Amino acid sequence: MDHPELAVPTTPAWTRPAVTLPLFGAFSLLGGFLPSFSLEANLYIFTLGAVMMRLGLGQRVPRRPAPTRLPRGLVWWLLPVGVFVLFEITAFANGSKESYPTLSLLADPLLDHYLPRALAYFGWLVGFWGLVRR
Amino acid sequence: MRWVAVGGFVLAAFLVAAVEWAARRTRRIPTLSDMAAVIMTHEVGKVPVGRVAIFGFWWWVGWHFLAR
Repeated sequence: MDHPELAVPTTPAWTRPAVTLPLFGAFSLLGGFLPSFSLEANLYIFTLGAVMMRLGLGQRVPRRPAPTRLPRGLVWWLLPVGVFVLFEITAFANGSKESYPTLSLLADPLLDHYLPRALAYFGWLVGFWGLVRR
Repeated sequence: MRWVAVGGFVLAAFLVAAVEWAARRTRRIPTLSDMAAVIMTHEVGKVPVGRVAIFGFWWWVGWHFLAR
């Protein structure tokens, strides 16, 4: 008896969350040890970004389809963007001092600690992977 | 003045979460992911400039906060 072959698209096993999330977790735990402004941190970010870029520009990772057009509700996004740009530009105009800091100046003391730094690595990697899959 | 700046960035983060939440409840607002996906479809000739731009931006975000 013949069995017709079904053309079911399969996701490579290594791209599944059960594989990628623990992997990103391990990379984040390692990245948390690398301090800002160090050569190691620069090389680490460069290497991780290069791998993600290569995966994202290649055809090996399946992508979720993009919508053909965006709804008009897109304008709602101007609200958070406008608030962020307003406060960031005001801080820049004031010289980004401790009394009126930019976001990165505010984040620096927080990211000096291991756990927030490792969590930031994890968020960055998960976000990058989400973009690779789009 | 420092707390004004902190409040501004907290407000911006809250608004991002609120608009994303609204986008997931109704199809009238695109999600961040959908917007990124549409930008990433942009190509000039065979060069995927949209993907390169979005990846480059995210790469820079990581470098700016975690390495520089």
